[in-house]
Amino acid sequence: MTGNGSLLAQRLEVLRSVDRASFDTLLADPAWHEDLPATDAAALVDLLAQVASEAADAAAALALRLGDLVSTVPDPASLRKWALHGLQRHQHHPKARLQYFERDDPGAFADLQAEADVAELLTQRAALLAYLAGFGDSTHGIELHEPQAAGQPSPAPSVADAVIRFPRRCAVSGPAAQRRALYRASIAHIAAHLWHSPLARLAGSRRPMLLATIALVEDARVERLMQRDYPGLHSLWGAFHTATRESAGFDYAGLAARLSRALHDPGYADSNAWVQKGRALFEDAAATDLHDVPAFEAIGRRLAIDVEKMRLPLLPAYRPQPPYRDDNTLLWNMNAALPVDDEATAPREDYEFQPRDKLPPELPSVDVDTRRRTRHPEWDHRLDALREDWATVIESGPAAQRSAGNRFAQKPAHRVRGLEQTPDRSIRLNRLAEGDELDLTAAVDGAIRQRARLAPDGRIFRRHGHRHRATAVVLLMDLSVSTQRFVPGSFTTVLEVEKRAARVVAQALDSGRDRVAVHGFASNGRHEVHYQRIKDFDEPFGAEQQARLAALQGSLSTRMGAALRHATALLDGQAVDHKVILMLTDGEPSDVDVVEEEHLVEDARHAVASAAARGIRTFCLTLDRQADRYVRRIFGSRNYLIADRADAFAGHTGDALVRLVAH
Amino acid sequence: MTPSLQPYLIEREPYYRAAGNELALFAAAFARGLPMMLKGPTGCGKTRFIEHMAWRLKRPLITLACNEDMAASDLVGRYLLDAQGTVWHDGPLTTAVRFGAICYLDEVVEARQDTTVVIHPLTDERRMLPLDKRGELVKAHPDFRLVVSYNPGYQSVAKDMKPSTRQRFGAIDFDFPPPAVETEVVAHEGGISPALALQLVKIAEQSRALRGRGLDEGISTRMLVHAGALIAEGIAVHDACTLAMTTPITDDRDLQAALAGFVEAQFGPRS
Repeated sequence: MTGNGSLLAQRLEVLRSVDRASFDTLLADPAWHEDLPATDAAALVDLLAQVASEAADAAAALALRLGDLVSTVPDPASLRKWALHGLQRHQHHPKARLQYFERDDPGAFADLQAEADVAELLTQRAALLAYLAGFGDSTHGIELHEPQAAGQPSPAPSVADAVIRFPRRCAVSGPAAQRRALYRASIAHIAAHLWHSPLARLAGSRRPMLLATIALVEDARVERLMQRDYPGLHSLWGAFHTATRESAGFDYAGLAARLSRALHDPGYADSNAWVQKGRALFEDAAATDLHDVPAFEAIGRRLAIDVEKMRLPLLPAYRPQPPYRDDNTLLWNMNAALPVDDEATAPREDYEFQPRDKLPPELPSVDVDTRRRTRHPEWDHRLDALREDWATVIESGPAAQRSAGNRFAQKPAHRVRGLEQTPDRSIRLNRLAEGDELDLTAAVDGAIRQRARLAPDGRIFRRHGHRHRATAVVLLMDLSVSTQRFVPGSFTTVLEVEKRAARVVAQALDSGRDRVAVHGFASNGRHEVHYQRIKDFDEPFGAEQQARLAALQGSLSTRMGAALRHATALLDGQAVDHKVILMLTDGEPSDVDVVEEEHLVEDARHAVASAAARGIRTFCLTLDRQADRYVRRIFGSRNYLIADRADAFAGHTGDALVRLVAH
Repeated sequence: MTPSLQPYLIEREPYYRAAGNELALFAAAFARGLPMMLKGPTGCGKTRFIEHMAWRLKRPLITLACNEDMAASDLVGRYLLDAQGTVWHDGPLTTAVRFGAICYLDEVVEARQDTTVVIHPLTDERRMLPLDKRGELVKAHPDFRLVVSYNPGYQSVAKDMKPSTRQRFGAIDFDFPPPAVETEVVAHEGGISPALALQLVKIAEQSRALRGRGLDEGISTRMLVHAGALIAEGIAVHDACTLAMTTPITDDRDLQAALAGFVEAQFGPRS
């Protein structure tokens, strides 16, 4: 067997240990990986193991389909994206998740154009939100539609629940400037609806054809109104009105596009009687009053009747044209017509109001989980992409309940050398006996006193002041179960050594100026990364904190990336010159729901890089003699120290701190 | 009037279009001798207003832009050396107090609080300025008036007026004028048609909706006037708006894109 072949065998072995059933299914059909390179096959087995570690039933369904999927989906990466999307989207709905893995088509994730469009839209999002805010709406967010299966038409932009959703694939494929213009045109059009349209009217029993035609007239009406205030929008929208008799055709969609254009562009001539009629009716009504909604609805009604006489059907693929226009769902309240989507309604429960005295006296007491949960992304190096909101960090106990303690500045127990001061030009020290430059006012005063035969003041110099650089340090302690081990060659546990180092750091810095926090973490899968604040920035290292530190126990595993990201977010709020995360650990990152090697190492590396991008330095002290393999990759070649002797660890920590803070 | 104040007189009428009753209010406060405080965002016409009032009331106007390096001696004056010995130079505030001018302290909160305290004896019934270095007590001229301005939008807590300073003043709150008035101002000052001015004003209105979303302040009337003047000189509309409005106001790319969108919403895509 080749090297790569043995890799596959090795990964299969891992799968067998995680999920025997899927392993057996895969083995029953060994042909599934015939056409694949061994590394891709191994990656797929890893993926299967990953799914199995979260949902065994979904993994079984996936294992059954894997042969088919491999032959239909061109590359394993899109299969991976599809599977991860399913795990994330349906994480609280096992039934829907199983259905997703049984039936959903991963083809949508193979659409590279859509991927690129999505990436571009996301970079535009902040600008588009600001653009929307300029039209007076700051309540709506911008999101994406769910991926469309291959072959299905791309949806129109839609507005619902304070979110504007854009299709993943951009409707124009021109240069970037044109795509951006399309997004702006959409936003401006939606803003026009929000300003001028009556929203969520009851659709009642009106037929889709009627709704579509009324909406078409409504689109033109609100745009007309909007152009009164923003005349430049006419040409912005006009650029997308390209329908002609030849290009658009004679079906309903074609005629609708031509009518839209005729209503928008006075210079457009169209020979079709329906289009001409629509235009004449619209212009008549527009000349009277553009705000008269019922009059325009009547026009839509008449036009719809004409279309029905022509026996033109409304195809399900109909989208309002041009593509910047939204699907007009915000105009209608389809109340009864919509099937109940239990995913969308699940979190909402209806309670019947009951007067207090009618309530049963013995209500079961409900434990409310007060622990704060924060979601963080995780880096998937195989996809070169972030998995959004993948890991959940749980902090125990609300911060408000902790005693603030007396926060008197404590003198550092032993001074850390090398904390120089930085010159600060905003501080000026005047009237000095010596300095860098003449203090002109003082010099003139001195000369005047001299002439007046008074004793001159010799302090005529000035210089810039210095100030202490403030540092914020998060000491991040690995509290996984492995820290219960003894350090080789000693009778001290790793945790004990970490605690000792934490004490050194917490007492080393001057609490009047520098801010030190001692935090710890341990994880139990991606949904449960426990994060403990043993000493927070605002707390003294007093008896309570020391007791908390002493009481720490090692348990669970080490999801380093999530903890680093959480510490980064906490540090980000600190207004200091230097921000440092000092990680104390005894081994490489690992977690119960991750079977892929490298995944957590790469994730931690990414977390370190994102911290660096925010101006936060990270440094790792590890007790693992074999740490060379991964710490260098995670923290960079100069930012780690392997201390293999327990007695020297605390001292090394102090040294590392000086190095970090002094730089 | 003393000859030394001659250069401070404003000869030609500075254009000012009132948005409310501020002219009457100010004139009344002026007649009463009340020190005045003009509050409002940058570029909304505070300085133009005081120039106009100085012209209207025919008083010389001495303007001082305040900064945090300003010492009390920059206001009241100091001894300087010359060949014969020392010579006292009145500061701008002392000149105004002595000879009866309007002293206008622009962006007064920028000056350090201990500096602004020197105006205290001037702004109550005493109306006098002690020059301790010179051992002189200057009685304020009956025509002396003190006016300060500041922008409440962008100050930190550290830069705020002491209550003891604040309470000596009457205040007029300025904001960007209503669209019709602002259009008139931009059309007049920029030398462009009212229709074009209205479009510029609408861009500014959209930008002011972004206050607090990354922009500290929206596009000001002053910026609109600049853009209008550029357009009147034959610069293309989009270029003028980019130069005078969207590029200077922020460094944030996303906001610039949104602002460019507002320009586009008035004048169409850049051809």
